Amino acid sequence: MDLTTLRPILRNLTGTVLVILQVAIALAVLVNATWIVAQRVRVMSAPTGMDDANMLAALSVSFTPRFNYDASLNADLMYLRGLKGVVAATPVDAAPFSHGGATTDVWTNPNQKGPPYSLNTFSSDEQGLKAFGAHLIAGRAFRAEEVLPPVTEANLTEFVPSIIVTQAVAEALFPGQNVVGKQIFDSVGKPATIIGLIANLIGTAPQGLHGADQVAFIPRLPALHGVIYLVRTEPGRRDELLPIIEAHLAGSNPDRVIKWVRTIDRYKKRLYLSDHNMAIFLVVVTALVLAAAALGLFGLSAFSVSSRTRQIGTLRALGARRFDILRQFMVESAVVTTAGIALGCVISLAVGNWLSLAYRLPRLNLFYLVGGMLALWTIGLLAVWHPARRASLVAPSVATRTV
Amino acid sequence: MPEVLGYYVRLALKSFRRTPGLTALMVAGVALGISVCIVTLTVYQAAANNPISWKSDRLYAVTLDSWDPNAPANPERPDLPPNQVTYRDAGYLLTSSIPARKVVMFLTQDVIAGGGREGKPSPLSTRVTTADFFGMFDVPFLFGSGWKASDDADSAPLIVLSRQENEKLFGGANSVGRTVRWNDRELRIVGVLDHWEPMPKFYDVTRGPFEVSEDAYVPFGWAETLLRFPNGGRVSCWQNQAISSFADFLSSDCVWLQMWVELPDAASRDRFQGVLDAYWSEQHNTGRFQRPRNNRLTNVSQWLVDQQVVQNDNRILVVIAFSFLVVCLLNTVGLALAKLLKEAPNAGIRRALGATRGELFAQALTEVGLICFLGAVAGAGFAALGLAQVRALYAGGEFTSGGYQQLAHFDAVSVAWALVLAVVAALAAGVYPAWRAGRLPPALYLKSQ
Repeated sequence: MDLTTLRPILRNLTGTVLVILQVAIALAVLVNATWIVAQRVRVMSAPTGMDDANMLAALSVSFTPRFNYDASLNADLMYLRGLKGVVAATPVDAAPFSHGGATTDVWTNPNQKGPPYSLNTFSSDEQGLKAFGAHLIAGRAFRAEEVLPPVTEANLTEFVPSIIVTQAVAEALFPGQNVVGKQIFDSVGKPATIIGLIANLIGTAPQGLHGADQVAFIPRLPALHGVIYLVRTEPGRRDELLPIIEAHLAGSNPDRVIKWVRTIDRYKKRLYLSDHNMAIFLVVVTALVLAAAALGLFGLSAFSVSSRTRQIGTLRALGARRFDILRQFMVESAVVTTAGIALGCVISLAVGNWLSLAYRLPRLNLFYLVGGMLALWTIGLLAVWHPARRASLVAPSVATRTV
Repeated sequence: MPEVLGYYVRLALKSFRRTPGLTALMVAGVALGISVCIVTLTVYQAAANNPISWKSDRLYAVTLDSWDPNAPANPERPDLPPNQVTYRDAGYLLTSSIPARKVVMFLTQDVIAGGGREGKPSPLSTRVTTADFFGMFDVPFLFGSGWKASDDADSAPLIVLSRQENEKLFGGANSVGRTVRWNDRELRIVGVLDHWEPMPKFYDVTRGPFEVSEDAYVPFGWAETLLRFPNGGRVSCWQNQAISSFADFLSSDCVWLQMWVELPDAASRDRFQGVLDAYWSEQHNTGRFQRPRNNRLTNVSQWLVDQQVVQNDNRILVVIAFSFLVVCLLNTVGLALAKLLKEAPNAGIRRALGATRGELFAQALTEVGLICFLGAVAGAGFAALGLAQVRALYAGGEFTSGGYQQLAHFDAVSVAWALVLAVVAALAAGVYPAWRAGRLPPALYLKSQ
C-alpha cells in the first residue's frame, strides 16, 4: 500500500481520531460484555441434577394444637401418591433453589479436626430421591423403615445414622475414593454412614449458586411447624395437576392452611434472575454500542465521499476504474478500523484485568478478544460498503462541472 | 442577553431545517446514550438508597462475633461478625439504659383469622419486635399506635397490622380495639400502619435486601411465650453443644435476632461501645467469644455497604452505560464537525458582516446545547420505557412483589439525571466543534461563493 492512500485520512484528522476512539471503546465493551455474558450463560445452563421442569411444591402449615401431624402427613401423602400423573411425592423441609433450608457442618473425623465442611441437607423420606429425579450413582436410596420422625425440641441437633451425598461432597471429603460405607461426623462427633452417592444436584442455594451442589439427603420427616410436599409429575402434566392438588389440600383439613403451591421453576427463575437480567442488559447495550460505532464509521466515510466528489470524478476521468475507487475507500476505512482495534485491544485487556481484580471475574479468555477483533473488522467493512459504492458510482463527468 | 440567546436559538432551528437528517441522527445518538445511563443509574441509585438518611448516623446495628473460633460466620467477609445476635446477648444488651431506643426483633411466618373473613385462616408474616421499633424507624401510623415497652416483657396480647393486612381483613376500616386470632390466640389490634416499605429493607437484610415489609407486628415477649422455634427468618448455628429443648435453644450460640440501637450523640455511642466491650470481656473470660474481639456498632449507610446491598453487577452496568454514552458523544462531536464544515460558508458571511469569534462560538455551542437538550427529552422518554422493561424483567411474582418493582421507577431523580447528563453532553460534545467554528477563516469561504 503506498502512503498516498493515507493522505485523505490525515486531512480530516479530528474526525478520524473520534472514530478510532469509538471503535476502541466498542471493542472493549464487546469483548468484556461477551465474556461476562458467557460466564452467566455457563452458570444458567449448568445441569440442575433434577427434573425441575416437572416438579411442584406445596407448603402446609398448622396453627392450632388440634393439628395431628402424623394423620395429616399420611392422608396428604396417600392422596398425592395415588393421584394419576404423579411420579413421586415426598415431605421435605425446603424447596430446591429457595435460598432457605438447612446446612450442617461435618468432618471426616470425630474430633472436629480441620475446617468444617458445610452440607446443605434435605430432610425427606423414602421417596425423596425419586421426587427430585436425582440420579443414583452408587449405593441405594433410603428404605421406609429408616425414615426418622421429625425433630422435636428434645433432639433438634441430633444427627442421622445414614446419609446420601452428591459427587461434589464425595470428591471434597474423600477425593478419589469409593464413599459408600464411609462415615462422616457432626459437631459433637456423632457419625453418619454414607449409603448412597448421587449425581450433582443444586440444593436450596443458601449462599447463592456458589457451592450449591454440596448437598446431602437425610432420612427424616421434616419440620416442626410446616411441611413442604414436593411432587414430581409425569412430563408435561405439572400445570394440569397443580390446581387440582391445591384445591384438594386446601379443603382437606381445617386445622392447617396451605400457604402456597408453586412450581419449582419459579424458584429456579428467581435464583437465576439477576444473571438472566444482567445477560439481557449487556447484550442490548453491546448491540447499541456496536451500532453507534458502525454509525460513526459510516458517517466519517459518507462525509469523506461527499466532500471529495469532484476529486473522485477527476480520478475516474484520469482512468481510475470503479473498483479502484471502491478499494480506496474500503482501504481508508480499514486503516481507521484497524487503528481503533489496536487501541481497543489495549483497553479491553486493561478493563478485563480491572474486572478480574475488582470483581473476581475469571481472567479474560483471549479467544474472545480475537473474536471481537474479527467482529469489529467485519462491522467496519459493512458500515463503509454503502458510501464506498456510492463513491465508485460517481460519473467521470462530475470533474468537469462547477459546483 | 435573552434576545441574543433567542437569536441563537432561531439560527440553530434554521440550521436544523437545513440538515434535518444529520440533526435527527445527533439527537437520536444523545437520546440513546442518555437513556441507557438513566436506566442503569436509577437502578444503581435505588440499590444504593439510604431509606432513613435523616437518622442514618444515629441508628446502629449491633453485632458481636460470637461465632465458631475455627471459622468466620461469612467466609466471604471474614472481617465481619455474624449479622444477627443470639437471644442471650440481646437479652443482656436490652438492659442497658444508654440507647435512646433499642430494638430486638425477628421475622416469623404465621396464620391469622378474623375481621371480615371470620373463621377463615390465612397466612401472614409477622415481625416479633420490641416496642421501640415504630419510633426508631419513624414508622407511620394510620390508626392507633404501637405498644408500651412494658408490654414486651409481659408478651401482651396486642398486635399492629400493616395497611395492606388491615385492608384485607377489615376493608381498610379503623380496626383499633378489635381482635384477631393470631396462631390460634386472641390478640387485640392497637394500631394500623400507613404504607411503609423502606427499600432496601435495611433493618433486616437476612432474607434479601429487597423483601417487602411484614404484614403484622407483635410484642417481643411472644418470642418466648409461643414456645416455638422461629420459623421463616434465618437461624444460623455453629453448634458446639447439643440442643435438646427450647430453653437450650434460647441460651445457645445460634444467631437469629436483628438488634438496633438509637444513640443520639458520639458520647452515648462511646458509652454503649464500652458496654459491649465490657460484656465481651466478661463472656470471653467464661469461655465464650473465642474469636478476636469484633464488637460493632454500624450506622445505616455503613451497614448497607457491609451487607453488600449494592451488587457488583450494578456497578459494572453503570460503567458500561457510561462507555456507551462516551461512544454516542464521540459520534455527536464527529457529526457536529461535519455539520460545521457544511455550513462554513454561512459562518464566513457572518464573520465578514462583523460577528466576533466569541459570538460564533456561542452560537455553535447553543446549537449543540439545543441538540443535547432535545436528546435529553427524548432520552428521558426512552428511559421511562427502559425502566418499565427492567421492572418487567424483575417481576418475580409474589417473591418480589413491591421489592424490585420499587427499584426501577421513573421519577424526578431520573429527570434530574437526564438534565445533568444533557449539560455534560453539551459541554463534552459542543465545546470543540464550537471552538473550531469560531476559528474558521472567513475569507476562504467567501471566496468560494
